[in-house]
Amino acid sequence: MDSMIQINNLKKTYSNGFNALKGININIEKGKFFGLLGPNGAGKTTTIGILTGLVNLTSGNVLIDGYDVIKDYKITRRMIGLSPQEINLDVFFTIKELLTFQGGYFGLSLSESKKRVEKLLYDLGLEDKVNAKARELSGGMKRRVQIAKALVHDPELIILDEPTAGVDIELRHLLWNSLKEMNIKQNKTLLLTTHYIEEAEALCDEVAIIDDGKIIAQGSPKELIKADGESYINITVNKINENILSDYNIDINENIIKITSKNPEKDIPNIINILSESNIAVRNLNVKTASLEDVFLKLTGKNIIDD
Amino acid sequence: MINTPFLTLIYREVLRFIVLYKQTIMPGIISSGLYLVIFGHALGSRIGSINNIDYIHFIIPGLTMMAVINQSYANSSSSIMQAKYLKFIEDYLVAPVSGFELSMSFIIGAIFRGVINGILIILTCWMLTDFNVHNYSLSLFFLIITSCVFGAIGVIIGIISKSWDQVGVFGTFVFMPLSMLGGVFWSVDMLPKGWQFITILNPLYWMINGLRYSMIGISEIPIMFSIIISIIFAIIFTIIASVMFSRGYRIKS
Repeated sequence: MDSMIQINNLKKTYSNGFNALKGININIEKGKFFGLLGPNGAGKTTTIGILTGLVNLTSGNVLIDGYDVIKDYKITRRMIGLSPQEINLDVFFTIKELLTFQGGYFGLSLSESKKRVEKLLYDLGLEDKVNAKARELSGGMKRRVQIAKALVHDPELIILDEPTAGVDIELRHLLWNSLKEMNIKQNKTLLLTTHYIEEAEALCDEVAIIDDGKIIAQGSPKELIKADGESYINITVNKINENILSDYNIDINENIIKITSKNPEKDIPNIINILSESNIAVRNLNVKTASLEDVFLKLTGKNIIDD
Repeated sequence: MINTPFLTLIYREVLRFIVLYKQTIMPGIISSGLYLVIFGHALGSRIGSINNIDYIHFIIPGLTMMAVINQSYANSSSSIMQAKYLKFIEDYLVAPVSGFELSMSFIIGAIFRGVINGILIILTCWMLTDFNVHNYSLSLFFLIITSCVFGAIGVIIGIISKSWDQVGVFGTFVFMPLSMLGGVFWSVDMLPKGWQFITILNPLYWMINGLRYSMIGISEIPIMFSIIISIIFAIIFTIIASVMFSRGYRIKS
């Protein structure tokens, strides 16, 4: 499959000497929904900035659909739609005007851009706000306009930096659905950074975990969970016999046995068998399956949300 | 091929100041009209004439130039400051346009505002006094080239400035003295010798004289010098502004 984004040994040192990226390599195939996860200051926004032209790279190179982001910037930038994390809406014009200009900046004629904008505003439920200015909108509406800005020129590659930060659950799910639809029905490539690991798990085919300017893991959420995730099986029993589950990594607290397992589907039947053979009755059993969040915590040693 | 991104940027820049006409067009006309009434009519009769030209006619090109300078500088510097402050400058930086196109879109926006202000002030003066423009095309040239120079300076200061104060300081402490000392209200012959030399080093002096010749047909210096020096300044500042945008000085990290 063809690559949409190829990042090769990308390094970025800021003028204050901070090494934001220490030689990262990422390959994102066309049509993928890719998530870049990492704590604050890990290098996510720097990476996106280099892709889009907001940040000058120090060394390495980045290709978008085979074109270099520096040498062929006029080609690559037309392919990209960016929704930055911080709301940055032009305050002088109405929503319709600013989105129409946005289309124009990326090569759409103003009449073509107007048509696209009308459809987008309708799709995003903003049709009655076309003549409002940014400061008259609620936070959720501003976020929708911010995302609409990335979509006006119908780009092949959509880059979303924390698209659902500060958004209520209802809108978050609405945005998830429309992003997923763009990925599946229109075959767009999406690159997303997020603090909500649940979001990455729900949307992304593939994720990369970035920490301290380095990619520390990459793969599908399932693969990463399988490789580094640990589930917990909590069993409440009528009596305890510490020796019988010696093959497992267990932790006993009164009459609750907590078993750490990489493969709970396989382990649970075996454990039940062992317990029943020893005449130990199971009163309660619950499983906390491994999540991408656990993998993240294990690999980075940091909790993504607290950062 | 039509360069739609570049044209859209220019369109936005022009539309921005037209929407804000109460702040961008009206003040220049009102203050020039007041200067004309007070300095021209009230004080002018006591000053008499300069180089056989009525004082009121002598100051019209200077007043026009002062407004053109202020308005073109304000347009590009404030547009960039607002875009930086509200971060929508990122929309321009990620667009498929070169640093030269970006800086030119701000400079052309400034030229439109400078020239519109200049023309409206000339029209106001024409209605308030009995003067006629000596050379229309040369007058338009000086309005355009001066707006270009100060539009480009506005881009540079807009990029460099970290606060609105810094933009304002430049206007008050640099442009105001330069335009006042550049011969808006008087002829260089009226100054002591030492000041005459300093005046000649002032780029605004050459532009004000250029417009004065174009509008009323008198000049203290050869008009060709004014044209060449103005073009050189326009080129230098446009190049500096474009390089700053291309390299992302203070706007890219």
